[in-house]
Amino acid sequence: MKQFLKQIAVVIGLFLVLAYLLSAGSLWSLRKSSFYKPSFLVNAVEEDTFDYIVLGASTGLTTLDTKAIDEQAGSKGINLSMDDTGLSSHYLMLEHFLAEGKTTKYCIIAPGVNAYDATVKGLNDNDYRFLMFVNRPYISRYFSEVEEKDMQSNVLSSSKWFPFIGVSYFNAEIFYPSILSLIQPKKRNRFDEAGNYTYPVKRKQLKFIKKKQSNLTFSNPTLVKLNKLCKTNNIELIYYIAPLRAENMVLDLTENRVIDHSAIIDKDEYFYDNIHVNSNGREITSRIFAEQLSEILK
Amino acid sequence: MLFNSLPFLIFLPTVFILYWFVLKGQHLAQNVLLLLASYIFYGWWDYRFLALIAASTLVDYGIGLALSKEKKNKNRKLLLTASLVFNLGLLGFFKYYNFFVDSWVNAWASAGVTLETSTLNIILPVGISFYTFQTLSYTIDVYKRKLEPTTSLLRFATYVSFFPQLVAGPIERATHLLPQFKIPRVFKSEFAVSGFYLIIWGLFKKVVIADNCAFFVTQIFDAPGGHSSLELLLGGVLFGFQIYGDFSGYSDIAIGVARLFGFSLMTNFKFPYFSRDIAEFWRRWHISLSTWFRDYLYIPLGGSRGNKWVQIRNVSIVFLVSGFWHGANWTFIVWGGIHALLFLPLLLLERNRNNMEGDPLSIRKLPSILGTFFVVTVAWIFFRADSVGIAFDYIVQMFTNYTASFDVFLKTSKALLFSCIIVMSIAVLLCFEYFSIRKNRNEVKLNRLSAVFIALLILFMGVFKNPADFIYFQF
Repeated sequence: MKQFLKQIAVVIGLFLVLAYLLSAGSLWSLRKSSFYKPSFLVNAVEEDTFDYIVLGASTGLTTLDTKAIDEQAGSKGINLSMDDTGLSSHYLMLEHFLAEGKTTKYCIIAPGVNAYDATVKGLNDNDYRFLMFVNRPYISRYFSEVEEKDMQSNVLSSSKWFPFIGVSYFNAEIFYPSILSLIQPKKRNRFDEAGNYTYPVKRKQLKFIKKKQSNLTFSNPTLVKLNKLCKTNNIELIYYIAPLRAENMVLDLTENRVIDHSAIIDKDEYFYDNIHVNSNGREITSRIFAEQLSEILK
Repeated sequence: MLFNSLPFLIFLPTVFILYWFVLKGQHLAQNVLLLLASYIFYGWWDYRFLALIAASTLVDYGIGLALSKEKKNKNRKLLLTASLVFNLGLLGFFKYYNFFVDSWVNAWASAGVTLETSTLNIILPVGISFYTFQTLSYTIDVYKRKLEPTTSLLRFATYVSFFPQLVAGPIERATHLLPQFKIPRVFKSEFAVSGFYLIIWGLFKKVVIADNCAFFVTQIFDAPGGHSSLELLLGGVLFGFQIYGDFSGYSDIAIGVARLFGFSLMTNFKFPYFSRDIAEFWRRWHISLSTWFRDYLYIPLGGSRGNKWVQIRNVSIVFLVSGFWHGANWTFIVWGGIHALLFLPLLLLERNRNNMEGDPLSIRKLPSILGTFFVVTVAWIFFRADSVGIAFDYIVQMFTNYTASFDVFLKTSKALLFSCIIVMSIAVLLCFEYFSIRKNRNEVKLNRLSAVFIALLILFMGVFKNPADFIYFQF
């Protein structure tokens, strides 16, 4: 038995050491890269002061072209949106932004419209993109204090001590991009130097859909947390609602400023799908947004 | 409980510690522990079906004892028939009831008669085909007086439910496994280490090979109409590796886990994709099932004795039944039929023993190996497709839609990544297997460094998010 235990202890020990080194190296490589937004913010964004930042999901990522907006409004902004994320991820991104010593006058949040009312208790799909900074207290807290624990949250929170757990679980999303980042540290994962991405114009026609009216009450409790964090840091929080092909929103809100673009365009030629604009739609929306932003910045 | 799951990662060391440290030297108590562990292992999936295993155990244990006391041939036959009816009845009800009802209705419908029947919403108990065959082998061997029935219900119950091989084999014969529960366990370090390494190798096959292949296989088989001939061909090839990685991976883990507890299970796969003809393939693929059919169906039918027609009949029956054993669908029967058609010419020309496992591999045999792999791949299409019609369409399109499009494997960065992982992992698999064959081994033997290397591949190339279930659980 002793011989057996010794043998497997050697194998497991060697495996754990190598796994630890490889995964720690993998996270280091991503931390030093621009591949995902959290490390892009740290390594590729030199400015410390902004007029506005956009925090959002795929809607924020693909609707507001900060380059076009800045050109028109003479402002300085950046898009820190990530697809498949929610308000809690936007809160984390704001914490991350502030932790880097950066400031902004306005914080535009642009989640999927349902996120304003829906309460998500678990992690969002792409929260693993913060994994390389898991040793920062606000990030490890975010992973470990999530209300609804699941496999993903357990994996991410335990990665603080055992990085190979997160790196192996998300090997396609973390390990292989880290190898790529080692070779090309400036490579970005589908966003430009200002953090924007656009959906192409599809040739295929979208299905007919009757437009409906929906109410938004802004009842997601994370909004309270976001407001508080913004207030502490002298940032004005603005809620943004991206164009929707099939919905017009009726808003029930008095406290915050809202930029509601849900009904500013309705032709199919501007949409990639029901909730995302294509590059043509983005151009129009960003132009209108820039006009509104100019007024706000005055 | 799945071998590649977190609960099993806790379950296995716990049972191991209790078995070797707390109950050391008390083989009766060790059997009790194994029995309890096995019922927990199975009940983890669905505790309601524990009653089936318990019933199967009690019936065959009782029949075994009765057979030993009964002298009259007529009564012995009756007892054997009772066991067959009970075990095959269970299997028939849970696995084949709906199939027979549907086929009956469809047969009448094709003659213009509409029958009003209803199928049942039956859940197939995991591993029922495996443990049913295992208990049947016991009763048949006792009936044939090849085996003394056990008087210990505990030993028999542990043999039937032994958790490493309970749900997906290897299908162990009572003559081989049952006596191992009788003798005191002695921990053999080298044997246990080999089991530990085999578990790592089995996990590699499942988590890296099978689960990565599943990424493309699902896409291609779900919509074969939208793919080029090259993609369809590769879809078949990848399914071949998926099912091999999945099933032989399970067997390796099962054998490895059993070794940790001092038990030896039979080899179930001997590098089947290096086979030089279909006869050799069947001596290397799912050996515990093919030898089961050989011993309990083929030989009782007359085997290779008798004239050519009898031989053809016997071989055809065995392959068709073997196909049907896999599942209640015509696709499996056609799959079995194809293998029969491929095997029969070799048998009739007496060339089915031309390539024996011990014969050295040479580069001159590469065309035979590739040819065998190709026909096996085509047959796999029937095995994987949802219906015979879909499988035919798949094959027709594979041979007619001549385009070199490779899009599915390259169209996104994720697809490209999976393609690279698959190519690399299959290369690793074949290299290890090739060197094992060269050394005339029945299994891949890892050493310390190669075990660490393979474990790292599992960690960084394996599929952990949404892993696929073991395919053979459904059988």
